[in-house]
Amino acid sequence: MEGNANAAVWVVGADRPGIVAGVTRALFDLGCNLLDAASTILRGHFAMMLMVEAPPDCDIERMRASLNGAARDLGISVTVSPVTDEGRAGVPPTHMVSVYGADKPGIVFRVTDLLSTAGANITDLTSRVIGSSEEPVYALMLEVDLPAGTEEKLAELAAELDVDISVHPIESDLL
Amino acid sequence: MVRVPARVLKQRAAELGDAPDAQLAADLVETMRASPACVGLAAPQIGISRRAIAVDVSAHRKVTTSHGLVVLFDPVLVQAHGRELGREGCMSVPDLTANVGRARSVVVRGVTPEGAERVIATEGFEARAFQHEIDHLDGLLILDRVASLATDVFRRKVYE
Repeated sequence: MEGNANAAVWVVGADRPGIVAGVTRALFDLGCNLLDAASTILRGHFAMMLMVEAPPDCDIERMRASLNGAARDLGISVTVSPVTDEGRAGVPPTHMVSVYGADKPGIVFRVTDLLSTAGANITDLTSRVIGSSEEPVYALMLEVDLPAGTEEKLAELAAELDVDISVHPIESDLL
Repeated sequence: MVRVPARVLKQRAAELGDAPDAQLAADLVETMRASPACVGLAAPQIGISRRAIAVDVSAHRKVTTSHGLVVLFDPVLVQAHGRELGREGCMSVPDLTANVGRARSVVVRGVTPEGAERVIATEGFEARAFQHEIDHLDGLLILDRVASLATDVFRRKVYE
């Protein structure tokens, strides 16, 4: 990984073609270099986060002004946050945790509260409400750096919340 | 070791045919042995666009079937059965791993460095390794094969 990000750009808005091009054109015109980025669509809303390496003559205010112009044109909202190197030490996830159950408030909170108390670090999270509107099912998938002994606690919580929680080790093989 | 974005990794490698290359076989094995975690290597990964692979999964923890060190020229997947998702890393693609669906059991036919035809039937991790290496000969990397179970499960909702 080359380059250090000095700004995080957050984009959210009703999905339509051209959002990525519109935002990255503004960044390109500022002389910025893109590092890692991720996006998803949630309930018809496009959400994206970009880590950006800005040139010395481009401060955060200049980025905001330029991106706000692009955001107005696109009908989306853009937020620019300064970032430092502090977040660079990444712990690779060891486990995939899947949670499925009848939808009700509190599933994410209870599961992640348990994980946080156990010292587990969440590295990725996706959740969707699936199934019919009469019987909505909440599906949550997490990638986690999971300390030993946490699986038993998750099993107890699954029984208490009446949801299924399965834990699989993430093993990648170098071929 | 050649890494992306080297073009040699994205080309279809050329058959060796009637010209087996003992030096290429030796170079593949030597390079594979130089990286302790490496269980397979294809000639494009050492910068040579020829259809040659080396596989040795015998020391890997996941192994259920192993033929030890195998070097094959012009390997072809002649049978493939079942499907299994596994997370793969590749020496030529630093920093990333990808969930890749592979056949659970395969039959591979190729030519040994000594010029004899060899047919190998295997399954599990060794079958995965052969498929990964043969992909390299067709210019296919793990990023060309991504299939994330998580996104597949969730995407169905979108297309219903």
